[in-house]
Formats: sequence, C-alpha cells, structure tokens
Amino acid sequence: MPDRSPELGPDDPIKGRSFAFPLLIASLLLMLTVAWSFYVEFYGLQPWREYQSRFAKAYSTYLAKAVKDEKKNEDAVYASADYKALLAKVDAAEKTAKTQDEQIAKQIALLDDQRAALGDAFKDARGKIGSLVYQYEIVPDADRSTKEARKKDLLAGRASVWKVDWPLGDGRIQKDKPFTGDELNDVFTGIIAQRAALVAQRGDVDKPAKEARDELNQYASEHLPGLSSTSLELLQHSMRDFDERIIQINVNPPGASLNNLGGAGLVDRCQSCHVGTETRYVPSQVTLTKADLGMAKSKDAPYTSHPDGLLLQTHPLEKFGCSPCHGGNGRAVNSVERGHGRYEHWLYPLYYPENYNAGCQQCHSADMVTEHAPVLNQGKQLYRQKGCIGCHRFQGFDNQDEQLVNARQQILSLAKSKSDDLLEIPRLQKLGDTAPSNAAAEAFYAQATNLTVDISRMDATTESLEQRSHDLLQEIKKVGPDLKEARQKLRKEWIPYWIGHTTEFRPTTKMPQFRMSQDEIQAISAFIWQDSLPGPALEKQAPANSAHGKELLEERGCLACHAIGEGANAVGGTFAANLSRIGEKENYDYLVRWVHNPRQRTRPYCPYEKKDLGPEDYAKHNLPYVFDLDHSRCPNDGHELLVQQPTIMPSLRLSDADSRDIASFLITQKHADATYAAADYMDDPQLAAKGKDLVRHYGCAGCHEISGMEDEGRIGTELTNEGSKPIERLDFALWTEDAKRGEQPDGKPYLRDGKQMPWFDPKGFFEHKLENPAIYDQGKYHANPMDALRMPKPNLQSQDEVQALVTMLLGSTDPTLPPEYMYKPADRRKYIQAGWWIVTKYNCIGCHQIDVGQKSVLQTLPMYQGDLKGNLPPVLTTEGARVNPEWLRGFLANPALSTTDSNRNGVRQYLQVRMPTFSLSNDEIRKLTLFFEAMSAQPDPFIPPKVEPLSDAERAMARGLFTSPAAPCLKCHMTGNEAHDKNASAPNFLLAHERLQPAWTARWITDPAKIIPGTAMPSGLFRKDGDIWVFAGPTPGAMQQYHGDQADLLVRYMFTLTPQEQAALLGRTPSASNSAAGKQSGGK
Amino acid sequence: MDWHQLWEIASAPDNVPIVAMLFLIPFYLWYALKQGIENDKLIAILESDANLAKTKYRKTQEWDPKWDREVHTWPYLMRMEFLVAIIVTVLLMVWSLTLNAPLEEPANPNVTMNPAKAPWYFLGLQEMLVYFDPWIAGVVMPTLVIVGLMVIPYIDANPLGNGYYTYKQRRFSIWTFMFGFVGLWVLMIVIGTFIRGPGWMWFWPGRTWDAERVDYAVNRNLDQVFGIDGSWTSAIFHTTKDQGAIWARVIFGIFPLIAFFIVAALLVHWICMRTEFSRKIYQRMSLVQLVTMYTFLIFMFSLPAKILLRLVFTIHYVWVTPWFSI
Repeated sequence: MPDRSPELGPDDPIKGRSFAFPLLIASLLLMLTVAWSFYVEFYGLQPWREYQSRFAKAYSTYLAKAVKDEKKNEDAVYASADYKALLAKVDAAEKTAKTQDEQIAKQIALLDDQRAALGDAFKDARGKIGSLVYQYEIVPDADRSTKEARKKDLLAGRASVWKVDWPLGDGRIQKDKPFTGDELNDVFTGIIAQRAALVAQRGDVDKPAKEARDELNQYASEHLPGLSSTSLELLQHSMRDFDERIIQINVNPPGASLNNLGGAGLVDRCQSCHVGTETRYVPSQVTLTKADLGMAKSKDAPYTSHPDGLLLQTHPLEKFGCSPCHGGNGRAVNSVERGHGRYEHWLYPLYYPENYNAGCQQCHSADMVTEHAPVLNQGKQLYRQKGCIGCHRFQGFDNQDEQLVNARQQILSLAKSKSDDLLEIPRLQKLGDTAPSNAAAEAFYAQATNLTVDISRMDATTESLEQRSHDLLQEIKKVGPDLKEARQKLRKEWIPYWIGHTTEFRPTTKMPQFRMSQDEIQAISAFIWQDSLPGPALEKQAPANSAHGKELLEERGCLACHAIGEGANAVGGTFAANLSRIGEKENYDYLVRWVHNPRQRTRPYCPYEKKDLGPEDYAKHNLPYVFDLDHSRCPNDGHELLVQQPTIMPSLRLSDADSRDIASFLITQKHADATYAAADYMDDPQLAAKGKDLVRHYGCAGCHEISGMEDEGRIGTELTNEGSKPIERLDFALWTEDAKRGEQPDGKPYLRDGKQMPWFDPKGFFEHKLENPAIYDQGKYHANPMDALRMPKPNLQSQDEVQALVTMLLGSTDPTLPPEYMYKPADRRKYIQAGWWIVTKYNCIGCHQIDVGQKSVLQTLPMYQGDLKGNLPPVLTTEGARVNPEWLRGFLANPALSTTDSNRNGVRQYLQVRMPTFSLSNDEIRKLTLFFEAMSAQPDPFIPPKVEPLSDAERAMARGLFTSPAAPCLKCHMTGNEAHDKNASAPNFLLAHERLQPAWTARWITDPAKIIPGTAMPSGLFRKDGDIWVFAGPTPGAMQQYHGDQADLLVRYMFTLTPQEQAALLGRTPSASNSAAGKQSGGK
Repeated sequence: MDWHQLWEIASAPDNVPIVAMLFLIPFYLWYALKQGIENDKLIAILESDANLAKTKYRKTQEWDPKWDREVHTWPYLMRMEFLVAIIVTVLLMVWSLTLNAPLEEPANPNVTMNPAKAPWYFLGLQEMLVYFDPWIAGVVMPTLVIVGLMVIPYIDANPLGNGYYTYKQRRFSIWTFMFGFVGLWVLMIVIGTFIRGPGWMWFWPGRTWDAERVDYAVNRNLDQVFGIDGSWTSAIFHTTKDQGAIWARVIFGIFPLIAFFIVAALLVHWICMRTEFSRKIYQRMSLVQLVTMYTFLIFMFSLPAKILLRLVFTIHYVWVTPWFSI
C-alpha cells in the first residue's frame, strides 16, 4: 500500500480501503481452481487410473493364491512316481551321454580355436593368391612370355609361407607353425568339415537324453495344464510394479500403412478399464471372472477376461479391437458413459447384452449361419420364416425372383436381337448379289455368315438362361400358401375370419395380423375367392383310416416342421404351420393331393404370357396336359413354366392310400364347436375389384402367389443398411418426445436395470415397431385411410424373438470397416457360407444334426427319447467325409434311389422317418454337396480313391471275419432279402461301393462312437496292434497268418461285395432273427 | 406447459451465456442507472454551490472535505481491475471444468438438424433472416452495425459523462443503447434461443418443440397486397407482362420506402428536438455528423418496422427487386 497522507481521514472509501483480504480470497480461490483443474486433468478425466489400480490390487491377490495352488500341484506332480521315473530316465540318459558329449565338445572347441588362429593368415593368403590369379588371367593367351611369368608368380605365391600360432589343445600352442597358401586353404576347409561331422555326432550321442527330456516335459504339461507357477510369479511381479497408463489398440488390418491408409481409422482404449482382456496381464490360458477377483457382487468391476477365447482366436484383438464388434466410442476414456457411447451424439452405442450378436452382422452379413452368434442366426431365420423378406428386401436373402426377372429380360432381348439378325441376313445376301465387285460381295456374304454364327451363339445363351430360369423357378419359395388354389383348398367362410383373426385361430402362425376394417377384409376375401383358379376339378377322394394316418404323421417325420396340439400341448417343430385346426379350413380332396405331393399344381404358370395355362393351351398344340419338372416348357412360347407349387414343403413320396389316411386324420383336427358366418358377399364382383386394390396395397403378393400379381415388387423399405439409418429418418411419429423421456405407448416406463431410460434410438424404434407397428400410427389423422402405415403386426412369440430381429437390424449397418474385414472367404469356407442358406431354407436341421453341438427338432421330441433314438434320421456331422459326393448328388435329387419304387427311403429302408424329395434345383444340389464336403474339409473336386482288389485268400479271410460270431455284420445290416430286412437296422453293404469313402469307412468300423456318439454300431470291434488294426474278437483260423490291417481288409471286402456274395453270406450268418428285439440300431 | 423441455434448453451447455445474460444485463443496467441517478443528484448539489464545485468534484461518490480531489489510477484503479481479473479467471476456469464443450456427432451431409441454430452470439442475426432477405440481413445490416459502432465517437457531440455514470447528461445515448443493444440484439438472441423451435417456428416458452408441427401462414409482398400486376409498365416499356411486373414492383416499392425514410427522419428529428439539452447538442453538431447519425438511426428503426410488418401484417417484402428485396 502506498503511504497515506496524515491529514486524510482514515475513511476515504477509495484510498482508505485495504484490498488485501479480497485479494487473498480471490488468489486462494484461483489456486484452488488450478489445483482442481490438475485433479480433473489427471484423475477426473482419467477414471481408468482408478480402475487399473483396483484391478492391480485384486489381481495380485488372485495371482498370489494361484501361485500357491499351482506350486502345490507342481509339487504333487514332481513327487509322483511317474514323474520321478521319467526324471531318473533323463538323468541316466544324460549321464551315459556325458563323457562322450564332453569329449566331442572339447574337440569342437579345439577346432574353433584353430579356425580362429588361422583367420588372419588365411584371409591374407586368400587375398594375395586371388590377386595373382587375376593378374594371370588378364594376360591374353597370345602373350605367352608374360603369361608364363605371371604363372610362375602365382605358383610362387601359392607356395609362399605364412606363420601361425597353432593351438594343439589343452592350452598348448605351437609357435609360428608354417603353412603354405595351399595348405592354409586345405586346413581351413578341413576344419569346417570336421566340425560339422562332430556336431552331428554330438546330436546322435545326446538324442536319448533329449528324447527323455521331451517325454518328461510332455508329462509335465499334460498333468499341469495352464500357466506354470514361474509364469504366474512373473505376472505377479508385473502387477507389483503396475504402471498405470492408457492401454490402446490401433485397429488396423495387417499391412495397413503408417498413416492408416486402408486402416479402420479406429483407436480402441477399452482395455484401459477392461484390463482383464489385455493378454499381457491376463494371458489367454487364464480365464478371469469377477468371482476370481472376489468382486462377484460388484456392479463396477469391468475386469473379466473375454469369455469367448475361441472367438478371439479368429478375431485377433490387434486387428479387430473392441468397438468394431461391440460398438461404443473406443477412444473415449473420460467416463464410462462416453466410452460406451451412451450419449446423445455418439452414433454407435455399445450393444446391450441381448444384442451382442449385432456386432457380427456388419462383417458376416453374407452368412445365414454365423458361429458363436445364436441370436443373430435366430434373427435371420425369423426374418425369412416370418416373411419379413416378403415385403422388405435384404441383400443376400432370397432374391431368386429378381434374378428370374433379369433372366427373362435377357431372354427377351436376345430374342429381339435374333429376330433383327434374321432380317439382316437376307438383306446382306441381297446386297452381296448386287454388289459391284467380287470383293465387296464377299464382304457382304461374310457378314451374313457371321450373323448366322452369332445367332447360334445367342441360341446357346438363351438355352442356358432357360436352364437357369428352370432352376430359379424351382428355387423361388413363397412364405405363404398359393392363393390361386384358394377355391379348391379352403372353406369359403373361413377366409374372412382368418384374415381378421390370424393369431386367434393359430397362435403360432407366420401370417402377421393386419389392421383392416371389416369392409376391407370382406373385399379382400371376395377378391381372393374370385381370383383363384376354377379348375380342373380335383379328384374325389374316399375317406380313409385316420388312426393309421395319425401313426404315419408321427412316424414319417412330419413333426420335424409341423406341430400338432394346441398351446402347451403342441408337439413338433415350429418351422411350418401348427396343424391343430386344419380340419376347419381345408377341403379333404385338396388335402389328400397336398399330402401326396405338395408341389403339385392345378395349372402351370407361364411368366411370359402371365397366365395360368389350362388343358386348352396344351390341346391347341396337340399335347397332353402334363407338366412337371421334366415337362416344364410352355406349349405356346417354349419358355420355362412354373410347374410346382412354390412351397418349401417337400414330397414324402407317400402312397395314395397313406396320403388319404393322413388327410383323413388331419381333417378331424378341429374345434367341434367352430362355426363360421356365411359369406355370400364373396361372390360379388364389385367387391372383388375393390379387394384387388387392397391386396396390392397391403403387398399380399410378397408372401402369396396370387393370380395377376406374380410380378408385384416388395412394398416395404429395404432393410440391408437399416442399422445405420439416421435417427431423424426413423419415424417415431407422435412418440418422439415420449421416446426421449423413456415413456412408452403402453404407459409403462422403458426400463433398464430398474432405471427409466430413453428409447429414442434405433434399438428402441425397432423394438416398438416389431412389438406393435400400429403405435407409430396412433393419433395420426389420415384423410385417406390408405395412408395409414401398412406394416402388419408380426406374430413374434416372445421377447427373445423380438430381440433376435432387433439384433439383426442393429447390426445391418453401412460397412464402417475396410473391405478386408468383411467375411467373404475364398477357400472352402465359402461353400459352407453358401450351403447354410439352403440347409436353413429347407429346414434340414429339423431332422438331421449337421453341425457339432446342434440338435435337430426330432431329437428333442418325446417319441425319439431313450431307446427310440435309433429311429432318428442319420447324423450328418461327417457326411462329406463319409459319402462320395457324386453319389450324394444323385441321392439329393432322388432320395428313394429308385424311379420305380419310390415309397421308401433309398438307404435306410428300415427307418420309418422318410427322407423327402425336395425337388432341389441343380444349383442347390451343387451347393449342398459342396457344403457337406467343405464341412468335412474334403478337397474339391472329388477324386475317388482306389480300392485294392482282394486276392482269393484275402476274400476268404474277410468272409470269415464278416460272419464271425463276434461281428455278425449281417445281423443288423440290410441285404435286400425281405424276410431278413424286417429286422435290419443298418444300410445295405451293396451300397457301400458307390456311396462311401473307404478312409471314412475304416475310421467308422474301428471306432464309430467317436464319429457319432451313441450310435448302435458297436465300438471296439478292432484294436490297435502297433500300426495296424486287428480284430478284437476271436479271429477265424485263417486270419492268424494275416499280417495286414484287418480293418482295411474288411473295408476292401465291403467295397467289392457282390449281391451273390452277400446272398451266400446270409446263410452263414448266425441267426438273423434273434437280433430282432431290443436291437435298435441307427447312426450309420 | 412443457417445463421439462424448457429446462433442457436452458441447461444446455451451449446456452449458458444466454441464461447468464438474462440475469447479468438487467442487473448491470439497473446498477449503472442507479449510480447514474445518484451522480445526477450530486451534480445538482455541486451546480447549486459553485465554491464547492471548485474544490470537490469526485463525481462517482459521496464527497467529504477531507478527501482528495482526485486519486491515481495506480494503484487505486488497477488493484480493483486486478481483483476482477482474478475473479473472472476463476469463473472461466470453473465453467470450463464443469461443462464440457457441446460437441456433437460427426456431420452427416444427408441430414439437416432441426432446428439448425447458429452459435448463440449469432442468433440475433439468424433471427433477422426471418425479416429480410439474406443479402440484407446477412451482409448489409451487420456492416451497418459495425460501421455504426465505429462512427459513434465521431458523431457524439455531447462532451459530458466522461469517467462517471450519469443518466441526465446522456439520456439520448442511453436510450439509443437500450433500443439498439438490448432491444434489437439481446432480445433477438433470446428469441432465437428460447422461442424459435423446429422449422424456426414461434414456440412460446413452455410449449413442446414438436418437429412435426404444421402451421398455416401466408406472407405476401406489399405489391401483391396492392395488386400490382405490371400491366401499365409493360405498356410503357413495351415488354412482356412478366418483365413489366418486375419493373412495376421495383418502382412501386420505392414509394413506401421513401415514405418510411421521411417518417423515420421526422421521428428521429422530433426525438432530437424534445429537450433543451438535446437541442443544445443538436446545435453543436456539424451537418455531416447530423446526417450520419440520422441515417444510422433510421436504419435502426427499419428492423422493428419490418418485424411489425411481418409479424402483425404478414408482409413478406416491401420492395422487391430482381437483385435483393427489403
């Protein structure tokens, strides 16, 4: 403060007031704020520091315990007799080798010394002689005298002497030992050779000790899996000096350049808090759970290691990081909320557990079945099965209809150019005839000839396009039934009831519930009724044995797809309709035809003329009214027809009588009290006209085949990239504000972990849309009722199904990663990728187990439990290795393996479950065959291995084995003899040659349980004797002298078996009949 | 009433300065005026006692015979400024520590945010776009504002009021400030922040900002109100009717504009001539100073005039030309 004039009063408000106190306070505040800012900088914005220190503490405790446990284990193992014996062996072997080893080591050391001693002299001599050689060589041959002189110099150089202090071993040195240049060279190369020989010798000497040591290590690693106590101690050490710092991954594909060109442009720092996923601290051999760290109950302990180690092996962290799969903002570390991307402005928030699989979809969008992603797979299956695909295009999903339209357009444009060319040819010829010169005429004629060749080429292209159309027409499957046949199939009054009450009539139906007024329903019913085909009339069928029908329904495998019984009583699969009330809607005659062959059509459809052909069209061309896959060309225009019903349901090749029995049973399936109001309005043509517009408006043709609407497109929005649609484009309608506040249309709060959360995000939108699309129309005014949202309420059975679809949609984003991340394999995995689309399309997994760990529907049904397992269809986990793909192709096309006797299985005729005829297209058969081959890692194309023919002696021995009482093969395997086959439970050996692969067969007969656990084929028929398999039971006398592989012998015998031979064997097999009871065999 | 949303808007980190402004501006206005009025009383005492005025004129405070007539800047002003600097620094630091920068998601060229708002300090300009075409509101008006602020020292012929607060001696300047800054700048920012919602529509506070809201409103140009169709201009200039209409609009629009300038000039002049004091200042001003001041004041009045025309009479433009519109 400046000094104050004494005369001034002390109360001058400006001069007299001291600022010391306010300045002190302000300065303190400033310092406090600065300190605060340092705290925020280093701790507030770096919460990961605290997470890391907590982790280090907890993990150290865990490791300390682990080290103790592991030491105990190790001590136990080291103390075990086996280990000690092995250790003793190692010691003994090492001792034996020791003296010799030491001697060799000494020799080697001496050689090394000598080589070192030679070093300088050798280099000097080599340099000198090299230069003399050069001097000699550059003199031309003509200059003899100089050449001679130089040669003399060279010889002198080679003979000149270098002195070396030469070691003699044991520290003795011969001073100045003389060497000529030539000697130096020889000695040096000699030393190198000797040394190599000694090293090899030493290896031989040490070999037994090394092998014993390996054995010891092998034993130790087998008995002490996981990390050794030493490694654990190292980890413990690293925790003690734990350095808190950001742990980050630069997410890049291998080979991305320094400035991230071609990289993902992502930095993931997730591991800064999720320390347990960092393999430097928690190696992959250690699985760390919350409980391990004593934090089982903590809600804020992000320390577990990644739970799916196998997944990480195929998705290495350094390439994939975290956020590409999990979402979230990988580079934010200043708060949990930011890092997880759960704030308004981050586009890709962390997926919630129920949607984890969404992370797979971005790269695996081309897969129908993705390993490790059950929820995503379920979502994709639902997308197809519930008919979402009928309205919403999705890249990769069934688009055969689009391909067909393409092919058709190409065919038409080819036809157009062909007709143009045909007109051009005579014109060119005429020009040639009148040309002024010969050369000009020749040119015109040549052009005309070229055109004819062109035309023939176009014909070839057209033909292949027609073939493709044939395939495509076979592949197109509609989700719903063909409405062209409504009149023949359905009870008239039932139709309007059904449209209004889908889920009431059949709670598990795929048909979604539309929001329609009664008028609309009536109009649509009228249209469907009047639009359907009038005939030709169905064959009249007599009622038959419904009890037998029920039996057949349960035995033949119908329940793999269909269920029967209502509510909790339903038994069977969910892939196709529940048949409980089918009797209320269907016409018996139609049902018989359907059961007999669901693919049968009343009239074939011609996509070119856009009409359903009748007998009259065929009669015009004097053709019989016959249309099937072999007679699929249009009589009018020669193009491919749609000759089958576009249904997934295959033909079970039932006899007429069996079909009637099943239909008779099904027609009894109804509610006794069901009544339907009369519906005379359905014959009103005006109403039908109105209905037509409505049917088009609601996009019915997306799932149903409807006359006149075969080429209707999909009416919904494409969903391929729906997951990255900006939130502004998702129409929350009048719920926008409520969604932001977490209030739901039903009045309940949107909860997560008991907290009300906003649902104004894609997840919330999809969830509410799938639960009830109508909410986004609620309160909206529509001048024209047709402006209302059309999306019907999908009939999803549970919240799981909703979440499965949400998962799929959330993951369906624009690719944010570079192309090399997308799963588009070039090797055989691409066949697996393509095959799953077919396998799931036809529900092969309803009957078969195809992948390890997966269960077929039939396997879960009550009628196939326990002993009855033997009645199940075969397990196909090794199908590709088992069968010859050529054979498989034929089998898939015709599972009866016969054109005459089709009411049976081709291979396992003893099974009641029937392998149906799917009428797969050639392309589908190709893909399926390649799929099975690839699943079993078979090379493609297939080259059948050679089977050595048997000598007479071998055949005699094999025959003996085949019929020996210890291995009565023909007791269970079929022979084709009807009396014998009644009790058979395994396929006929005569098929083996064409059907099986010998290597697999050998593996199978030696240990079938390893390939298919629980198979009825007995294991332990053979035992390993050295490198070969020998029969385990008492062998026939002749076998004693055989020194070859007996399993191989048997396989070769099977592959050369003839029907005569088999018939002859049959007589020798110990009583086939007493194997009947209790012997339920299956598997192979 | 949607208090929830009002709170969301008011508490957004973007809007902290505006909320602060809502309290700070009235407070400092009140505080400055209070001191000004107290000074005016002191001035009155000193004027009535010439002797006293010769010895004591420390005008910002009560006076005492024992006090100095003047005090030095250093340390008496500087120490106070230093204290304030420290306090402001602390405030800024606390602010930056507690509220993060309101960063948003990466821009998506396919999506326009709604409402799309400028930074808070430009919201007044953005609001002006409602009333003028972008050329006027975005270029001419801001230029006038800046140039207008620059000329203030050159046209201020009032020598009083330096170094102390006073209301009486600077009544004209204070009301110009109140009108120009508080009325036309701060108020416009407040409107832009709290009142303008999605679609830049007018939402009274408490009404939910509904992106789906649809309003029916027709704004017409003044020439349309008067039915100017250009038939007479096309006859005079021998042009098509469309071209004629353009010229007709250009010519027509000049008249209301001239009328406005005349009325506004008279209004400004009337204000300047109201008191004895201001008449004295008027006398002191040169012609150039006078014309400059009148011009800027007239332009200042044009904004409220246009707001009135638009909001009350739904007039879109007064003068429509092919190059710009007013």
